[in-house]
Amino acid sequence: MPKDDLTFMESLWRNHRIPFGSQYWEQGWFGMLFTFIFVAFILLNIKRAGAGKSLFIRRIPGLNAIDEAVGRATEMGKPILMVPGLSDPVNAIAVQAINICSYVTKTAAKFSNPIIMCAYSASMYTLAQEVIRDVYQAEGVPERFDPDSVRFISDRQFAFAAGVSGIIHREQTAATFFLGEFYAESLIFAETANSIGAIQVASSTEATQTPFFIAACDYVLIGDEFYAASAYLTREPVLVGSLVGQDWSKMFAIACILCGVVSQSIFSFTHSRRVEDIVNSAGGDKDKIKAGLAQLKKDEAHQFVVSKFFRQVDPPEDLKVDREKKPAAEKSPEVGIVNK
Amino acid sequence: MKIKTIPKYTVYLLLVLAASIPLFFDIKMPNKPVDSSAATFKSLMTLEKGDTVLLGTDWTGSTRGESKAELIAILRILMRKEVKFAMWSSADAQSPRCAQDVITEVNAMMKKEGSREYKQWEDWVQAGFYPNSDVAINNVGQDVKKMFSPKRGTDSTGKLRSVMESPVLEKIQKIEDFKLVIDVTASKTSDFHVQFISSHKVPMIFAVTGVMVPETDVYYNSGQIAGFLGGLKGVYDVEVMMDKGLNVPDKDGKIEVASTKVTDQIAGFPGKDNTGSGSKYYPTLHFALALMIVLVVIGNVEMAMARKGAKNS
Amino acid sequence: MKVNEINFWTKVPFSKDLWMMVILTILVGALIVFGLSKAPSQARRPIIWILTFLSGAFFVLYQYWPKAINFDKNTQLPNGGIEKVADFLNDSNSIVGTIAQVLAAFMLGLGIFSILKIHGTRIAKRQRDWAFSVVLIVSLLLMVFLGYGDFHIREATKTIDFDNPEKWGAINMGRDFLFEGLLQQMDAAMFSIIAFFILSAAYRAFRARSVEATILLGTALLVIFSLMGGIAYLWDTKFIDEHFAKPGVTHDLIQNLKLAEISKWIRGTFQTPAITGIKFGIGLGTLSMAVRIWLGLEKGGK
Repeated sequence: MPKDDLTFMESLWRNHRIPFGSQYWEQGWFGMLFTFIFVAFILLNIKRAGAGKSLFIRRIPGLNAIDEAVGRATEMGKPILMVPGLSDPVNAIAVQAINICSYVTKTAAKFSNPIIMCAYSASMYTLAQEVIRDVYQAEGVPERFDPDSVRFISDRQFAFAAGVSGIIHREQTAATFFLGEFYAESLIFAETANSIGAIQVASSTEATQTPFFIAACDYVLIGDEFYAASAYLTREPVLVGSLVGQDWSKMFAIACILCGVVSQSIFSFTHSRRVEDIVNSAGGDKDKIKAGLAQLKKDEAHQFVVSKFFRQVDPPEDLKVDREKKPAAEKSPEVGIVNK
Repeated sequence: MKIKTIPKYTVYLLLVLAASIPLFFDIKMPNKPVDSSAATFKSLMTLEKGDTVLLGTDWTGSTRGESKAELIAILRILMRKEVKFAMWSSADAQSPRCAQDVITEVNAMMKKEGSREYKQWEDWVQAGFYPNSDVAINNVGQDVKKMFSPKRGTDSTGKLRSVMESPVLEKIQKIEDFKLVIDVTASKTSDFHVQFISSHKVPMIFAVTGVMVPETDVYYNSGQIAGFLGGLKGVYDVEVMMDKGLNVPDKDGKIEVASTKVTDQIAGFPGKDNTGSGSKYYPTLHFALALMIVLVVIGNVEMAMARKGAKNS
Repeated sequence: MKVNEINFWTKVPFSKDLWMMVILTILVGALIVFGLSKAPSQARRPIIWILTFLSGAFFVLYQYWPKAINFDKNTQLPNGGIEKVADFLNDSNSIVGTIAQVLAAFMLGLGIFSILKIHGTRIAKRQRDWAFSVVLIVSLLLMVFLGYGDFHIREATKTIDFDNPEKWGAINMGRDFLFEGLLQQMDAAMFSIIAFFILSAAYRAFRARSVEATILLGTALLVIFSLMGGIAYLWDTKFIDEHFAKPGVTHDLIQNLKLAEISKWIRGTFQTPAITGIKFGIGLGTLSMAVRIWLGLEKGGK
């Protein structure tokens, strides 16, 4: 490969053997920088909120409805049903869903209202049981906690859907909260609860299921409103700060998108002008056009475009790195497997 | 304001009728393939005899109406073009069984049309089920050889050997060695494929359920996947293209199935039986959607009348 | 297992090293469980946080630690410390990734205990619908018995081609009946119920109550029409192509009035960016939540 054709990273590698990782080849490092900026925004705002700075959160109707829903269930003397999604194993979405459910439980505990929480996975069941017990203890009414109120139903999607729908019908729940990861079963839950007239607050982190909830539920948290819930309900500085950090990150992303749009538009404009020039100056000679386009491609490889930063480039396959050879295995290559 | 509505069970009964009556008639519905289906068809039809593809099947009995039909359409193309495939799953332990039943079914179809039957080990292998989709798909992206090596299959002499030694996978060292990565899915595995495999230089297509079309569109529009089949419409699109080809003019020079996105002329499999679940059930989908539109219109008329009544009173 | 695949996490089967590791793991595990059970509740939180931090740190390192360039593990040895760490992280990824599953498997016992307790009480007290609880518990036990039996037979006799039902015994058939014959069909039945719910929800919710709702309704109808081949054919081919389109012109204003083009425009211009935006917001929310959990800043929504 002629030296002039080497990219910046390749020349660095070949000349100085800098141990950059394959994922940081060319512009790959920008992904890491982007994540670090997001994390820095979140941590900075947590610090700001912790220092007593008042940060604004807009009104979210779905969360204001929690007290209304619990109040209505208390009036009717019927239980509240909560489903913290179908996460398996427990992940950040599940933890957030349980956080919101623990707030609902706190309100229900105050009014001695019965609750039912349906868990999709055994790990979710264990976590939910601990959290709900803690809520009753923190409220000073541990005796009101019914261990059977948190139930493991099934870890098969539609068996779970059938089980929860059955509970909604049998117990005639007055309020239902579907929060977390929901898939095809979302409409089964929402329509079943709708058919018995339960007040419903729902949110799915799966964008394709949100329309189903919107069609059948009273209040829906869309997208990241789900993550804003804890901050909105508790106003804890850590949560409010990280929410503001998320907003800063969004602003940063929007700025990058705008820069990308401008840079790509300039690139496309100059590209089409140069192609036009090549075709016009070639006067119908196909070889000339081909050569011109090849040169253009070469020139454009070094041109600055914002979108390049977001495109991971793999190291060239012919880049050989000197490494010690692995010694051949001394024993037989297959050991320990007995075929019956 | 009290709105008079059609009882719920009447609505359900109407759906049963709309969905079942068309099944008794052979209705040919006109159809124009969407861009994503045309791009998928192109990806499949440009494969050559002896190529190997990685076929993820991540669906179970619940979505078989769509997913099974998609897998049948894809397998018919792969088998007719004599493309080898390694099948694997990561979404549900039930998935491999469902997919294997489909292979048996498609083999019977191939036999009926006089084509060669596909043999396990020589033409296709079952590379297994791996729980924890995100970790599994990441591992396949990182080192497919390491991932599939422990899985064993019975070779033509009856011995149990690693599937990586099979004629299907013996030349595969890394994910890029596959000519195409396919995922027939009704779960989140499509997201993980984009997350962990789209950065590798290997084209990828999905076959998803109708509900997943909007979110899969995002990956298609961004160029992270080469194409996708969306639900029953996607299946019907492929069946129509298999039958009539894409951008292929007839004797009069008229192009019956055209695409503005895919401009290549791709011949299908004319003269063969290309009908499948898409052709059978697309009229049903059509009538069910028509019923939905009628009901939405009735609902709005009811609301307008109730409003008028409330104003008058 | 090939000898050259032996690493920190894997040992030669039945070797002394492997037994040593098994015993050591059991001892360390027992020590941690004992320590946690004896620790005062205030001390548990930091211990749990340290474990969470270490687990999170592994995946952060795995993602960000420089990966060796063009490294062929089968023939080469890693160069220097950075590549050695990268190699170790790469080997460890699949093992560490399955730890969560091992933990979940332990918790499954607790889940089954919950089911047996709730339904056992219902049967014992003859509460309403107790017969269904009997069905549930019998199904659970039967599935465990036949499922394990089937697995055991398949593992013990690997030379038999179990894809061929003619070679099945009573246990294999029983499992097949429960799994394929009942469970799959019931799954499909539950999924098909969604069609009915979609229709009733659409009938109830798609109302032109406001300007926004009317725009939504109109957009939805256009997309549905575009999915209906018959309607699209009548409008696009019979109406636009035959009456208004100029021959040979494929891109002009008239062509844009076709249902296929309108639907493509709605999906590409509104739907895709909206979903991308929602997904981006959710992604940032998840990142923020993950950072809080990892750094021990998440105290629960109490």
